[in-house]
Amino acid sequence: MGTFSEGIEVWLTAAGLPLHLLWRGRRYTLAADPVRWYERRNWWDEETRAAPGAGAGLVDREIWRVQVRRDGGASGTPLLTLDLVRYLPAGRWRVIKIYDALRESVEELEPGA
Amino acid sequence: MPKFVHLHAASAYSAHYGVSWPDDLVQAAADDGADALASTDRDGLYGAVKHVKACMAAGIDPLLGVDLAILEPSKTAGSSGNTGSPGGILAEAGRVVILAHGGQALRHGAGYTALCRLISTAHARPRGPVGLTLAQLAAGVLDPETGAPALTVLLGPFSDVARAMGGRRYLLPRTKFSTWRDTLPAGTLAVEVVSHFSEPGSPLSTTLAVRMLKLAEEFGVPAVLGNAVRYCGEDDAPTADVLDAARAITPLGRVPGLQPTGQGWLKGAAAMYRAGREIVGQGGYSVAELEQLWANTHRLADKCRLDPASDLGWKKPVTPEAGVLGLAQPAAVELWQRAEAGLNLRFPGLGGDRLAAARDRLTMEMETINELGFASYFLTVAEVSEMIRTMGVRRAARGSGASSLVNYVLGISAVDPIANDLLFERFLSRDRSTLPDIDLDVESAERHKVYHRIFERFGPERVTLMSMQNGYRARGAVRDAGLALGMDPEDVDGIAKQLWRFSAGSFREALVEKPELRDFAARVEQAQQPGAREGRDGRGGAQLDLLVDLTERLDRLPRHISMHPCGVILGDSSLLDRTPVQASGLGLPMSQFDKHDMDAMGMLKLDVLGVRMQSAMAYAVREVVRLHPSKAEVVAAGSHPVDGGGQGPAYVGEDGLIDLDAVPLDDEPTFELIRSTHTLGCFQIESPGQRELVGKMAPREFNDLIIDISLFRPGPMKSNMVKPYLENRAGFAPAHYAHPDLKPALAETHGVTVFHEQVLRTLHIMTGCTLSRADEFRRGLGKPDQEPVVEKYFRTHARQRGYSTETIEEVWDTLKAFGSFGFCKAHGAAFAVPTYQSAWLKAHHPAEFLAGLWEHDPGMYPRRLLVAEARRMGIPILPLDVNASAGCYRAERTPAAAGGEGVTGIRLSLSDVYGLSGTELKRIVAGQPYDSLADLRSRAKVSRPILKRLAQLGALDSLQRSAQQLTGNTANRADLIAHVNSMPASKTSRRSEAMEGQLHLPLGELELGTLAARLPAPTLAETVRTELDLLALDASAHLMDSYAPLLAQLGVTTSDKLLGLRNNTEVLVAGVRVATQTPPMRGGRRVVFISVDDGTGCVDATFFHEAQERSGPLLFGTRMLLIRGLTRRTGPRGISLQALEAWDLARPEALPGPGYLQDPGRPQDSRHPDSSRAGGRELARELGRGTPGQQSTAELARRMEVESLDHRAG
Repeated sequence: MGTFSEGIEVWLTAAGLPLHLLWRGRRYTLAADPVRWYERRNWWDEETRAAPGAGAGLVDREIWRVQVRRDGGASGTPLLTLDLVRYLPAGRWRVIKIYDALRESVEELEPGA
Repeated sequence: MPKFVHLHAASAYSAHYGVSWPDDLVQAAADDGADALASTDRDGLYGAVKHVKACMAAGIDPLLGVDLAILEPSKTAGSSGNTGSPGGILAEAGRVVILAHGGQALRHGAGYTALCRLISTAHARPRGPVGLTLAQLAAGVLDPETGAPALTVLLGPFSDVARAMGGRRYLLPRTKFSTWRDTLPAGTLAVEVVSHFSEPGSPLSTTLAVRMLKLAEEFGVPAVLGNAVRYCGEDDAPTADVLDAARAITPLGRVPGLQPTGQGWLKGAAAMYRAGREIVGQGGYSVAELEQLWANTHRLADKCRLDPASDLGWKKPVTPEAGVLGLAQPAAVELWQRAEAGLNLRFPGLGGDRLAAARDRLTMEMETINELGFASYFLTVAEVSEMIRTMGVRRAARGSGASSLVNYVLGISAVDPIANDLLFERFLSRDRSTLPDIDLDVESAERHKVYHRIFERFGPERVTLMSMQNGYRARGAVRDAGLALGMDPEDVDGIAKQLWRFSAGSFREALVEKPELRDFAARVEQAQQPGAREGRDGRGGAQLDLLVDLTERLDRLPRHISMHPCGVILGDSSLLDRTPVQASGLGLPMSQFDKHDMDAMGMLKLDVLGVRMQSAMAYAVREVVRLHPSKAEVVAAGSHPVDGGGQGPAYVGEDGLIDLDAVPLDDEPTFELIRSTHTLGCFQIESPGQRELVGKMAPREFNDLIIDISLFRPGPMKSNMVKPYLENRAGFAPAHYAHPDLKPALAETHGVTVFHEQVLRTLHIMTGCTLSRADEFRRGLGKPDQEPVVEKYFRTHARQRGYSTETIEEVWDTLKAFGSFGFCKAHGAAFAVPTYQSAWLKAHHPAEFLAGLWEHDPGMYPRRLLVAEARRMGIPILPLDVNASAGCYRAERTPAAAGGEGVTGIRLSLSDVYGLSGTELKRIVAGQPYDSLADLRSRAKVSRPILKRLAQLGALDSLQRSAQQLTGNTANRADLIAHVNSMPASKTSRRSEAMEGQLHLPLGELELGTLAARLPAPTLAETVRTELDLLALDASAHLMDSYAPLLAQLGVTTSDKLLGLRNNTEVLVAGVRVATQTPPMRGGRRVVFISVDDGTGCVDATFFHEAQERSGPLLFGTRMLLIRGLTRRTGPRGISLQALEAWDLARPEALPGPGYLQDPGRPQDSRHPDSSRAGGRELARELGRGTPGQQSTAELARRMEVESLDHRAG
């Protein structure tokens, strides 16, 4: 059994960028400009339907790399780096990678689930 | 929000690349507020004209460009095998977009011309990839006249520069960029900055977009923003993946270079602005940089805005120059003179009123032609037509061109429009300025020769072939979708074979409705059950749902272009400035435009259609004269009429050559043959529905044939004119006219409106409008936006002229139902000529005619059915014989039997022996006759497998027989086959070949004369099986003959016995499928027509819903069928079958037992053809008709609908 991705709540700015996160019961705020890209999906393996009209989000999914600081944390608190994925069309967010600056390791979570 | 103009967008016409139709792209851009949009298809301008049309309709400016590969000498020489002339092997080094400049800063048309010429250059390499070397590109970007930049090259994310950027390389991209900047003239280069937001650092990522932007700045080249569009919206991204897989012929999981993300859609201005901000942001630039990028984009867009009229010559007809046509005087004057001369030729001795009438008609036509400026068009067509005639090739004008007296007197058409009451206004009128279509039918076998001659005559700069787009249909779509999903090809193929006549786009709907898809639908459903996901091959059935979805996605998308079957484009010397060309399969250049683009581009298209029937008839005439080389012999053989002095008719020449076009159109034996309904092989009247119709209407004269052919169209069917016509004709009901005034217009069809011409006359009579105006009205019928206007005009003016409301209502109902579907009488008349001629040949020279049919295979049926027809007619089918057979099917006199006369048979041809190459065939024929097997081996050098096939087909029997006559040997064909099989494989080394002049020892008869007689002779059934395998036809006996005992046991009725049965008799019939037809579903339930041949003739069976349900997968896949059904009399000479149930004859275990027809448990239909029973009403309803008692005609109408859709001209 792999580890599964975790749900996360994301609040966006007016321009559509992530601003606040609610994760594992704690609130975080972006501390640097996020980087966005799309990652390819092998939808023909993962999906059972691709009906015309329901193709958005099949080929790729949106990834955001955010650097956040815990709300209320001291200014010296190390930044936490997370990779988030946004699923279309529902607009759900999940965490798929956690960069642990202290231990210099990356925990990759299985997407899906 | 600022507007945005996309400069880089591929349409669906970029085969296997683009996803969206030009209309949709343009609409999306316009909806977003854009005032222009570029179309940049891959490798050509395939979608350009459609794009311009769509832009004009949406009120935005079109931009045109192309997405082309740049070629450079390959570094891995030898590996790709693509050798370009002289520079060695060329390979693709990235792709760029090339945009045409418009009239803003350039001579009008110069940008578009430069684009066309460059694209043609990119396709001009005889082998290797399509594309340009940098040098070729640089040489073509300026206007040769002014030296001004005519094109802009966009270096974008697919260019070699962008490709060199991976891995943070510094020098390589800069070297490449310098090359571009140094090679291309100033003002022709721009950088296209694109991000599809793929993973940072990878192709199409923002990182690379930033680097491109910086490079542009560094080199002082303007940068523009783009999105390298492949589809309209995000929903279409998966379709692009499937197209990539289809292009690579590789399952999705293994396709190299799939799009990294699904972001290549036509993003709106807001999304593009955001993208731009993200790019400049990541590059560390300010908003000012974004404003600059944005402004550059629009500056370039403005430079490339095209004006359709001045840049493309929109809708301005162009014909070859007067000089090319050899004119020393204005075209109009020339045309007059030639028409005058032709008038005397066509109507010799005509005088008085009739001459005056012909002259008036000619004057009227000429005035219209000259007013439209089309004189040179008619002269051009006349020139081509005359050129074909002097080549000795049969030709006939088809279509509405037959309406024109000018065409008749110029010799273009063979139909007299005055005698046949044809209206010029239907063909050409002042109210319409598009070039008319004149179509020429020529012998199919000579078509390519004709094309080459047209190129020679007018010069390659003025002629090109037209192309056609081939889109995905259901079967191809499901195959490519299956390939993309990596499914088992055999499984996919099995599914594909069940798809029948529906668009791929409604696959899921079809799953519910079509009985033949029942099995597949069940599999899909099963796969949807939880737990079914993990099938035998991992995903198993779970893919079936995807298969259906992807098939629907591929629906109609263009796959490739090919040569149109008949279109030749003729223009002046500027033709290649206005269309890019590429090689066709024929070696002649082909335009990238299709028939829908012709009118818009002012291109003169001449349809030179190869018609196999014309070849078959020419062949038959040659065979007649070959066997009967004098007039007297031909007259005797064909039972042609002889006058008092013993002279045969004038249409048979002294040398025996028949002039088909001179045969009078009133030959009684010909009409007798047509009325017999044994019209297999006759042009236009051989289909099941047509056989039924000619049986019902019993044609007596040529005009009947015109009516017959014209009735056989959806229009007459839809407006319910078939039945009243037949009833009035038979005298069952008096002809009815809505008003006596209409009698002159409608009398020839007993009051029923059949022809376009009659619609024109009706409108003319009742409203007083001109005939040309009437034709415009006719064109408006059936069009939702125009029909109300026509209706209003008709009602108002008819009322003003005093027609009663009832009359107006009745006539309007007829006109409305007629819609735009009806048939032009000129079409019917043009078609009726070869129909009559082919029936005439079948009536008088059947063996030669059938030989022509076998040779050129012109009809809707497999050749083996026409072989069966020969057998039915008592024409001997002469077996394949290595000494008597040639490379073609030849008529042959058979020796007279004792006391009888010899008859003409048909000798089978070597050309259809499976696997026999053209060279082998030529060698065999050149060496004939052979006196022994050894002789055949040594001189014809036939390979062993072919020798074996020849033995199996009995082609060596004559050699064996002559050896046996000498020796008394008793071996049979099986022994011979075994002997041939045992011979050593032929040696091909020179040394073993006989020396020139050296003769083989005359030992041949020893070889065949000493064969051991060991094996049982092949049975007739085995022989027939072999013939079907190796010749694709059953020659020795009918395929069904071997089933005779089984069929007798079952109590099967043969086709020839059906006519003697009472209506509504329950029977079993059996046969080989020869035709399957399905009318389009238009509400109601589908009807399937299946015709089988049992050796005594055809049985035409109709499967309604319940019978289809019972037959399921048998409906379309099975070759040999047993059918239970009820007879239905369709006319004095016709009978068909309402099928109740069907079985596969090849599966004896599933067949019913003897006495099945008495089995009380056999299923019955709830509907019944007997009109006295309640079901009749239901049947009639199913056929879309009113009361019982009409089903026969109603069913015929359905049949006619499907067939006329299949055969519809043009």
